[in-house]
Amino acid sequence: MTKADIRWDLEVDWVAVGSGLAGLTSAIVAHDLGKQVVVLDKAPKLGGLSGYGGGEVFVPNNHKMVELGLEDSIDSGRTYFEFISAGFSDPALMDRLFENMHAAIEYVEKEAGVRWLAVEGLPDYYYPKAPGSHSGGRYLSVDLFDGSTLGEWQTRSFLTPHVPQGVLHRELYEWGGLAKVTEWNYELIGQRITEDKRSFGPGMMGYFIKAAMIDRGIPAYVETPVEELIQEDGRVVGVRAKREGADFFVRARTGVLLAIGGYDHNKKMACEYEAMHEWNSATPPYLHGDHMVMGPEIGAAIAAVPPTNLAMFFGYNIPGEESEGAPLYRTSWECGCPHAIWVNRQGERFCDEAFYKDYQPRLRSWDGAKQEMPNIPPYLIFDQNYRDRYPLGSYMPGMELPGELVETADTPRELAEKLGVDADGLEKTLDRYNEFAARGEDPDFGSGSYAWSVRLTGDQSYPNPCVGPLNKAPYYGIKLVPVSVGINSHGLRTNTNGQVMHVRGAPIPGLYAAGNSAALLDLGGGYQSGTSNMRAITWGYITGRHAAGGE
Amino acid sequence: MAQTEYSTTANLPLETIWDFVQEMDNWAQLVTGYQEHVKESATDSLWTLKGDVGVLARKVQFKVHIVEWNGPERVRFELKGLNEPLEGEGIFTMTADSGDAEASEPSSQNWFTRMIEALVRLFVKRKQGAVERDVPVSGGSRLTFNLRIDPGGPMAPMINAMMQPAMNVAAEDLSNRILSELEQRQNQVS
Repeated sequence: MTKADIRWDLEVDWVAVGSGLAGLTSAIVAHDLGKQVVVLDKAPKLGGLSGYGGGEVFVPNNHKMVELGLEDSIDSGRTYFEFISAGFSDPALMDRLFENMHAAIEYVEKEAGVRWLAVEGLPDYYYPKAPGSHSGGRYLSVDLFDGSTLGEWQTRSFLTPHVPQGVLHRELYEWGGLAKVTEWNYELIGQRITEDKRSFGPGMMGYFIKAAMIDRGIPAYVETPVEELIQEDGRVVGVRAKREGADFFVRARTGVLLAIGGYDHNKKMACEYEAMHEWNSATPPYLHGDHMVMGPEIGAAIAAVPPTNLAMFFGYNIPGEESEGAPLYRTSWECGCPHAIWVNRQGERFCDEAFYKDYQPRLRSWDGAKQEMPNIPPYLIFDQNYRDRYPLGSYMPGMELPGELVETADTPRELAEKLGVDADGLEKTLDRYNEFAARGEDPDFGSGSYAWSVRLTGDQSYPNPCVGPLNKAPYYGIKLVPVSVGINSHGLRTNTNGQVMHVRGAPIPGLYAAGNSAALLDLGGGYQSGTSNMRAITWGYITGRHAAGGE
Repeated sequence: MAQTEYSTTANLPLETIWDFVQEMDNWAQLVTGYQEHVKESATDSLWTLKGDVGVLARKVQFKVHIVEWNGPERVRFELKGLNEPLEGEGIFTMTADSGDAEASEPSSQNWFTRMIEALVRLFVKRKQGAVERDVPVSGGSRLTFNLRIDPGGPMAPMINAMMQPAMNVAAEDLSNRILSELEQRQNQVS
């Protein structure tokens, strides 16, 4: 379709497609530089994946760390990023990220009212094992946000089923982390829910939605999927969206930003790009990879990073549990607590189950002789010691577990037979694991050796907060399935201005991509909690400024 | 504890409402989130509902035991969760309407409650269709539905806060669906 065929329904300078962190940051920045902006989103609510997650933003040597007197440096942060990228990053893109991340987060604090807090005491994933890693303070999260200030968007902005509303990161750790979820202050949480005080991803996005839609009056159209990019003489000059069943043409005098997340809910695309037989997602069910269709349709290049190094989890759907009208998949964090392990079909452990960056590549291990992935599916095994103390998803201790999901047996052998796991293998594994676990040791895979796992999910009352024997009947088992959190290996190739690149090597004028829609070449796919939010804000900031002529 | 009351009127004889309400098969499918129910006896039944609290929905199974059967004016039942730690009580009250009281709205004291109510109403509307009735100003019969649920476990205060808005919608919708069904039948006869 060309411009000659079109009667524009709306004309603006900057069209932000997607209302997550990248889209709204770009909208705020472009607006502040004098541009007329609109935000379009496919979902019925604003906030995107950013509003569904934990709301951590990972920024080495951030200004909140400095205020707290926590020592860090840009160089140290860069060293750590080089480590996690494992040589797969584009140095120019990483340079650009580092040059702008601090300006971006400080801009949205000063100009958009985002109240950042440094999360003290939560270490980097690889601390203290990786060069440049830090013991705590690089994660930013937000202070409580008052949902009642969102006007019409209060009911049309994402809340998340994955974390309780109204809990600050600091409180989560003060209350004992995920292992002590039964001991959290639910009176306080209930009060904050009633008052619509938001935290985590929904709280973070509350600040951005308020800054964009309420304070600046930037119009947003939800349930308005963009289906096609409109070009004129090679330049993207607008989009064709669908609104209330009809075509809705929006002209973009300056540019179009694709910031619509990844492709988790396009199962065919996800299975092919992520090289897995099955794909499920913990994300809101609106991430269909539309950018991976619209971009290539006009010649955009796709780039990839190794899927081995991203953020693929395994987990489960509690039968009947839904969110946004779709099955709700939960990631499995159980093995961060004592008395739980993963095994493969042979009944053998194969990873440090408490640290997903360890289990992820081992899950992808390939048996060339048998032409199979021997560690998929993994089976979560736990015992009554676990059930006496810790939750399974939303099932607190004492609640009967759903039989459609969980197999239960009086012995490990019986459990293995019910699960279809090698019974001899499971017995042998438990004999060895329990012998060491009784002393808080895991010489085979080092569970509990990463400070991040210990802090987030471990039970601090144990000698090894992530390890405990499985020796109290009954025994429980669950066959796990892949559960993505929306961080995909493929995306649109972008340059240092966030412009989408043509397969022939030049930027496509007028077209930008950011957030999870842009390939993770800036980090080489090296993922660490909070890096996706950080790069979304940073590239939103860069693209908004570039398109508006600010840089 | 989450608690709600909804009261509304209809130009219907008390006996007509009672005849309908006393047989749960008549109205079971009008319950918000209804999945299935099984009658065990005249007083006991097992129910499965899809409970939606805005951010997530999940199947809740519970047992209903009728403890008071006082037609044509009052039915009281107790409920106990089978897969969730919850207990509660519900009361249908049917009276001749004096015209003194106006149709009530479930209490919606705060933003969050109103917000989740809006989300749940949207979900219910999409799944089960909207309920639109012309409520008579006075006369006829009044149907009042009280519902109280006490979640157990350490998370009870949080679950209360999440559940209250959904209960407001459920009470209003069930009352209006029952009366709407009876009004449609009456109109067909006349």
